[in-house]
Order: sequence, then C-alpha cells, then structure tokens
Amino acid sequence: MATTIPTSAFIATPLRCSTGRSSAIWVQKAQFSASSSSLGVSLSLKRPSLRLVSVRCETNGAGMPVIPAEERWMYEESEINGPDIWNKTWYPKAADHVNTEKTWYIVDASDKILGRMASTIANYIRGKNLATYTPSVDMGAYVIVINAEKVAVSGQKRSQKLYRRHSGRPGGMKIETFDQLQKRIPERIVEHAVRGMLPKGRLGRTLFTHLKVYKGSEHPHQAQKPIPLPIRDKRIQFVKK
Amino acid sequence: MNKDKIFKLAKGFRGRAKNCIRIARERVEKALQYSYRDRRNKKRDMRSLWIERINAGTRLHGVNYGNFMHGLMKENIQLNRKVLSELAMHEPYSFKALVNVSRTAFPGNNAVPKKEGLSSIL
Repeated sequence: MATTIPTSAFIATPLRCSTGRSSAIWVQKAQFSASSSSLGVSLSLKRPSLRLVSVRCETNGAGMPVIPAEERWMYEESEINGPDIWNKTWYPKAADHVNTEKTWYIVDASDKILGRMASTIANYIRGKNLATYTPSVDMGAYVIVINAEKVAVSGQKRSQKLYRRHSGRPGGMKIETFDQLQKRIPERIVEHAVRGMLPKGRLGRTLFTHLKVYKGSEHPHQAQKPIPLPIRDKRIQFVKK
Repeated sequence: MNKDKIFKLAKGFRGRAKNCIRIARERVEKALQYSYRDRRNKKRDMRSLWIERINAGTRLHGVNYGNFMHGLMKENIQLNRKVLSELAMHEPYSFKALVNVSRTAFPGNNAVPKKEGLSSIL
C-alpha cells in the first residue's frame, strides 16, 4: 500500500524578494515524489523528504526573521512582512535584467516575409512577450538572424521598394532598390526593417544592438546556445505563385 | 519669501533654472502644471501597463487580452487589472487556472465548431 504524501505540504508561498524571482517560483513547484509510491511498501514518513525552508522556527512565511510583537513598532511594514507585492506594481530591479542571463533566439530568414518576421523579432527584442514587460527597461531577449540574403518580399517589392538615405549635403539623396541593396549589403535590409519597428530613443538604440544579423548560415554565437524563435504568424512563409 | 520656496522646488533643474529666480520661477510653474496633469495621467499609464502585462501573460497560453477579459466578465470574476498583472508575474499557475476559466467561458475565435451527426465520427 503506497503512502500518499499530502501535496499541500509542498506548495510553499512564493518568495517575496524580487531577485531571482522567476527562478524561485519554479523551484518551489509542488514536487510529487513518485518514488516512494512505487515501492509498494507502506512507509511512515513523518516529515516531507524535501525541505523547502531551511530553518523554519526562525523565519516567517516571507523568509524574514520573526520580530516579536513588542518590538514591532520599531520596524516598517516592509521590514516586518516583506515587500508588498500586491499593492505596488512591480518594477524590475537591476538583477532582473542582467544582459548575461537573457535568452538568445535564432531565426532563419530564408523565404520569410520581411515585415512579418521583423515584427515578431521586434516584439521579442522589446520584451513584449513576457509578463514582466516594462516599457522603460530593457527586458527583452537577443535575436540572431541568419541567411539574411534570402529574405523574401511579396508583389513587385523586390524591384520597386526603395531604400533612401541622405548624406546631409544638398543633392545628397541616394536611392537604391531592394535587390540592389540585397546584392550590396543584405544585412541592412533586415536591420532597417527591425529598426523601424523598435522604439526610437535611447532605449531603442540599445535594443537595436541586441539584434544580430548575418549573411550566411554561420554565426559566432554558439556559446549563447540560441533557441529557435517561436513564430505564430501563419502567413510568414513566402509562397511562390 | 517666495523666492526660497521657488528655489526649493527648483532643485535638480538644469542650468540657470535652479539658480536664477526669473528662470526658475517659470520652470517651477511649468513643473507644477506638469505634476498636476501627470497625477491624472499616471492612473491611465499604470492601467495600460497592467493591460500590456496581462496581454503578454495570456498570450503565453494562447489567449489574447480581449478574449480573456470577455471570459472573465462572463464568469463575473471581478479581479482588477492590477491584481491580474501581478498574478501573471508572480503566480503563474494561478494565472493559468484563470486563463482556463476564461477559455471555458468564452472560447474566443479559436472555437472548434462542433460537428454534428455523421461528421463528428469522421
């Protein structure tokens, strides 16, 4: 007869501290120890085998030291019970957006419609896919684009879409079509598209540096272990008619 | 007497606006106008930030913000957007349960049309 360990014992309250918040939640997920139930032997377990709080007697539920009732007037509310997460909107601390711990995504641009791909890339770079999105803070991920010279556009854009730039001097406007620019500097096409979709300003310029575009299928970021970018747009694949 | 109050409010301003009374007075008046307006704008901005966060949180589960809120209204769940956004960030499992509640109440545009009769077996 297998013992059933009460699962309520494992569902601990999430840590109130913001550093490493997301990892704390996932660590404290209810862990079902299936091993003891498969033994088929009735074991009397007095305590759960996994201790989620190290020293229970000296801390309260928020992981802070217990303050006796007589001394409570000396402390502020946030020191007694921990920071108030339900009445103050969360704002990320520096430890919540460290660049070295951000995810890296990779997209293969071959035969993808330029604008639709750039839109999803910009969303991920800005961090709009995360519930912790903050407009004033860089919470997004890094994105690598490979095979940038194979990006596709529909209609007559390949010969008709113009890329303009101006040197600043009178008469200094330079105009190029899509295929001319693709022959010259193919990365610029994807960069131009994504830059137009990122916010313009100081933060937008730093976000733009998180986009890495490459011409072939090789990229120097293997050490970051990029994962394929999840694309939900159904019309992003270029269909030749 | 007023000058001291003005300079006290002008702390941190750029250039002569923190030191010279004529310029500081103008800038302080403008700053007070902005703070009056922004006390009202802050409520709007906060709500839109909560909505953006809820949108991101629900899209992780395949539901967009509009359909999610419609489902919650149908079930008469009166949690406000502030609490919903904090749930989406700090309590992912509870939030997923809420998304499921909303999805059963209002399946949104992805409702698979029920096949009747012979076509349900095919």
